[in-house]
Amino acid sequence: MKIKEWLSRLPLWLYGCMLLPLLAFGLSKQDASYFSFSDIPRIWTDEAMKDWELPNSNPEYSAQPVSEEFYYNLPERVIYKTYPVYHPDHEPEGYWEWLHEQEAEIVLDESKLLTEEDYIKAGELLFDYPIDTLGAVISTKHVRNIDFYTATEMPLTPEGIMPFAQWVVAGKGKVYLGNLSCAMCHTRVMDDGSLLKGAQGNWPGDKAFAFALETDGASERAIQNITSFLFASPFAEGDPHGKLLAAGKEAILEAYRAVPEGAFGRQGTSILFPPQAPNLIGVKDRKYLDHGGLGQHRNIEDMMRYISMNQALDFLNFYGDYNPIGLTKERLNSGEPIFFPGTYDRHSDAQLYALAKYIYSLSPPKNPNKPSELSESGKIIFAEQGCVTCHTPPLFTNNKLTPTDGFEVPDAHYDKYDIFGISVGTDPGYTMKTRRGTGYYKVPSLLGLWYRGPFLHDASLANLEDLFDSARLKDDYVPTAFKPHDVKTKAVKGHEFGMELNEMDKKALIAYLLTL
Amino acid sequence: MDIGYLDIVVAPWGSLRKCCVRRENFNYLSGKIDFRSRLLILTLIFFLIVPFLLSAQSFKPENPIQFKIKNAGITVDGLISDWEVMVDFDPKKLTQSSIRGKANPESIQTGIKLRDKHLHGREYFHIEKFSFISLESKSFRSKGKNAFIGIFELQIRGVKREIEIPFTLSQTGKQQMFKGEFTIDRLDYGLGEKSLVLSDEVRVVVEF
Repeated sequence: MKIKEWLSRLPLWLYGCMLLPLLAFGLSKQDASYFSFSDIPRIWTDEAMKDWELPNSNPEYSAQPVSEEFYYNLPERVIYKTYPVYHPDHEPEGYWEWLHEQEAEIVLDESKLLTEEDYIKAGELLFDYPIDTLGAVISTKHVRNIDFYTATEMPLTPEGIMPFAQWVVAGKGKVYLGNLSCAMCHTRVMDDGSLLKGAQGNWPGDKAFAFALETDGASERAIQNITSFLFASPFAEGDPHGKLLAAGKEAILEAYRAVPEGAFGRQGTSILFPPQAPNLIGVKDRKYLDHGGLGQHRNIEDMMRYISMNQALDFLNFYGDYNPIGLTKERLNSGEPIFFPGTYDRHSDAQLYALAKYIYSLSPPKNPNKPSELSESGKIIFAEQGCVTCHTPPLFTNNKLTPTDGFEVPDAHYDKYDIFGISVGTDPGYTMKTRRGTGYYKVPSLLGLWYRGPFLHDASLANLEDLFDSARLKDDYVPTAFKPHDVKTKAVKGHEFGMELNEMDKKALIAYLLTL
Repeated sequence: MDIGYLDIVVAPWGSLRKCCVRRENFNYLSGKIDFRSRLLILTLIFFLIVPFLLSAQSFKPENPIQFKIKNAGITVDGLISDWEVMVDFDPKKLTQSSIRGKANPESIQTGIKLRDKHLHGREYFHIEKFSFISLESKSFRSKGKNAFIGIFELQIRGVKREIEIPFTLSQTGKQQMFKGEFTIDRLDYGLGEKSLVLSDEVRVVVEF
């Protein structure tokens, strides 16, 4: 009673003083910012999905994604502990049996994610987490077969780990090979065997898929069907994928085998015009996602949308009346689950937020190429040759979209998107003849060229030297990386800059590019 | 490429001829002006026009318009080679003098063809919509011997702005040689957008 009385007699200003420490130090810890679930954006709203993506180059066939209601009715993914996949010759003794003794362990509890660091850490876990255990690309019997590694020239770590897939333990004795993690396409085994997460990956995915189809004895019909699910775009002029399917099993398998590591025929893209696997390091500064700039990247919500869509939900898109896996709109919205890899569940918004935060946190490794006299003269050549116009420092991209040959930019796009109104003449196939094609290519960043390759959006050139070699413009050129399965030679056209430089200047320019 | 400047030269002829025709029609209809009077009018008109024509011929200068702009610390030199100018300049009659020029932005050259193509596009000169650049004098003042300052209206991409151009005149007989240099802010005319590497200022040199 006395204390209460004493307190009531204290002057008001003294109570004010007690609040000062809060004003000075804030309400949260100094080294951590806290999140609540109310901070996590709801990303798949009908309103947001309407114009987030750019229209298809043939706008009548622009993607129509599933509705907000459909999306949020999908169950959220449970994230189990995963285990590394070893080359059979490197697998620790008893490892396989030990795996089968393990219980399922749920490793992500969203309610415990409080700080930015928590989210980034959870994001890394999700980055490595496979969303498919149905054998979407490869399955157990493939990775336990030594021939798989030889046939695909699979990169391994010094420990013999194949880092592009993981074992998922969903219960005692339930050991599944997990596919389709972000890490699958965006992890690079470097020359020294170290792993670089987020880089242009060197997963030979299409070679691996060809191996799986062949060794599984898949029928021609089955190979045609799965290839159609992945790449068919019957609305594209000339229907090149339809022609590939009609060419039969061997031609299709050859087309898969022709895609080099560093490129990957992701669903909606193509193995005829395969996209270079994108480098995610520095992606937070890029305004468009996908080589064709399909997804706008204006904020973290856009990145979250892109992750969700790209992790196979685009199989549920309609392109006009066409759906890649043969659904009708009635079937899609019937309420019955669709058991196709990646389409029967989804990441929660908190998981996507964590993934985006992790991807934003990726930073480049230390560049071993230090500036030199040669690279400094290359820097001047870079400016003189006008490279800076598109590859503008400090991002080394102007973050714009260039129309490809044959695509006429609609007037409205100039106000809506960042358009650099000329074509540099690179191969238009990807952006004009695929489900993800927009008619544009985004101007790529040149940061981190030293740890990347092959180059150009279609991964057709293995080395930077090839880019400045005028021989590549001739029809008798043999592309040093991706070469379509049905030709012996092919000109790699477009981006005809720096070709008239003398050899010394080319060397200097490349030396500079490798320092970025 | 013909950029149509001759229309400006021909226009006085056309309008005067119409005037003559109207007068003649009037003569024929009324029949009140005799042959001598008509001859006198025509002679007067002839002597009024000829000096104007002699002093204000449109011609294509030998020297292209030159411009310089800094891009990533490097000075990029460019040219616009297709241009015409019409000069009626008398240092003693500055108020009656005029200089007009018209340039075709399609003839721009910077040493990199694709860059030139980009400059043709809508982010820069947008030549499909704006087919010419024009420069038209408004007034002159002397700035010492053979040195002048002109106020010109420069039109690029449909944007008109008054600019001040100092220039020199060297005269050999009847031949006049002009040289002027000025700087513009490309953003004033909607030429591209703010850039981290490309300077806003463009230095222009005109010689004819």
